[in-house]
Amino acid sequence: MRLIEAEILKLVRRRGLMIWSLLLTVGSVLVAVIVLLVLHAVNPGHHGPAGGGTNLEHYVFLLSGLGDIAAILIGATAGTQDVSNGVFRDLVVTGRSRATLFRVRAVGALCVFLPILALGFAVAIGSSFLFAGGLAQATGSDIGHYIAYTLAITVLNTILAASIAAFASSRVVVGVLIAWSAIVAQILISIKVLGGARKFIDVAAAEHFATHRMNDNPIPMSSATALVVLAVWAAVALAAGRWWTNRVDA
Amino acid sequence: METVIETKALTKRFGERAAVDGVDLTVGAGVAFGFLGPNGAGKTTMIRTLLGLTQATAGEMSLLGLPQPAKRREALARVGAIVEEPRFHPHLTGRENLQIVAAARDSAADGRIDESIERVGLSHRAGDRVKTYSLGMRQRLGIARCLLADPALLMLDEPMNGLDPAGILEMRHLIRAFVAEGRTVFLSSHLLDEVEKTCDEVAIVDRGRVILQGRVDEIAASGDPTVLLDIDDADAARRVLSSDTRVTNIEQEGRELRITLGDGLTTAEVNRALVTAGVAVSRLEPARATLEEKFLAVTSRLETSE
Repeated sequence: MRLIEAEILKLVRRRGLMIWSLLLTVGSVLVAVIVLLVLHAVNPGHHGPAGGGTNLEHYVFLLSGLGDIAAILIGATAGTQDVSNGVFRDLVVTGRSRATLFRVRAVGALCVFLPILALGFAVAIGSSFLFAGGLAQATGSDIGHYIAYTLAITVLNTILAASIAAFASSRVVVGVLIAWSAIVAQILISIKVLGGARKFIDVAAAEHFATHRMNDNPIPMSSATALVVLAVWAAVALAAGRWWTNRVDA
Repeated sequence: METVIETKALTKRFGERAAVDGVDLTVGAGVAFGFLGPNGAGKTTMIRTLLGLTQATAGEMSLLGLPQPAKRREALARVGAIVEEPRFHPHLTGRENLQIVAAARDSAADGRIDESIERVGLSHRAGDRVKTYSLGMRQRLGIARCLLADPALLMLDEPMNGLDPAGILEMRHLIRAFVAEGRTVFLSSHLLDEVEKTCDEVAIVDRGRVILQGRVDEIAASGDPTVLLDIDDADAARRVLSSDTRVTNIEQEGRELRITLGDGLTTAEVNRALVTAGVAVSRLEPARATLEEKFLAVTSRLETSE
């Protein structure tokens, strides 16, 4: 527990990282809400209220996309900061196992990221109800889907970033994961000839939890399969990172 | 005497090159032990190997009587180390950096943070970010980090590097204070003078091998005695002394001669011979060999033999 607290301390003291993470998650939703509020105030005939179920879907689209970048930034930083600052060897000479020192990185990253994400969700959901006007509200089921999908994609990418960072610099990790999630995985998912094999793509598994309105071309799979796919991706990345951390000179 | 560090035929290879080459080393408790050698001699690799930061290629080693790496965690719980330059998270304060490392140690380490900071004289800057610290302050913070373990053994890699004279003096006093408390300090250095002033025992290392090991005073005093002479007629003195086969070496610098006495020849006999021959002796002083001279003699022998 003390090691996890230490990881959290290292991350939250990074002002730049925290500011960017808050801007990408809470800030992006807030900006969207404010823009819609202003548009509605200026021209209510043409622009509807800023709340309601449809607008919540837009906010969640922002939150999952930009929040995912924040998750990757936090995970990559957690995964690289001890080594890049030359402190890892000082932690190793305390006698702590390298596996333990590696494991707490992802846990610490999640402990920092999830409250930020929760704040983003609170702003999005709160705004959708507060400013709904006469629009239809999102159902409990919709909100459940939004949370499940966003958690699936961001938690996995936090773990992937913290794990892959054992092999590469944080910039490389951030670039590779954003390119994978936003471009490569989407292209692979769209190649129909790959058929059922596409369910093994992490992004496809995460999108299984999205609403049908958000994901108009879902890869057929059960929720159990989607969870297993996500768990396998996380487990393989963690195992590879742990193996390399144990093997490399500190 | 209890053995704190022991290695037998310890070897670390990088490809074909042996950075540590069959080192047998024994370090007893409660001493300052200098691991002395030129740059690239294998000092840092030796420390990294002992601490488990890199794996040994061959050989055996123990720390605090515990075999390594089998009992690594138990041993390192009482070891504090600075490897190469002390590094920290620059965006954290000095105290926060110590909290990070204390979290990796047992819970008692948390209680030693303030005490350690105070011990190295950093209380007034402990709340500042480390990126604002000077190198000397980082060295001291590195020592404070070592003290979190309440260490029986401190391993310091080139602790005087980059320090100004006042910092070097301060570091020397700290090290001697640790030894006075019964801790063992194993420090590597290429600064012969500093090792001589700071350490009780020394191992001279070159090209991964330990060439010489023992007490600093005994190593410096080993070999034939040397005498410095200040005389009025250096040429006459040379003639007188050259006729005695027990004088093994004569070096002249102006009116001063440095002679090496062999085979039981005493300073009094030298004085008597010179005065009898009419050479006025204004100074006759046994010369204390420095560790530097011994080091150069040993390493030059090594180069000659190769």
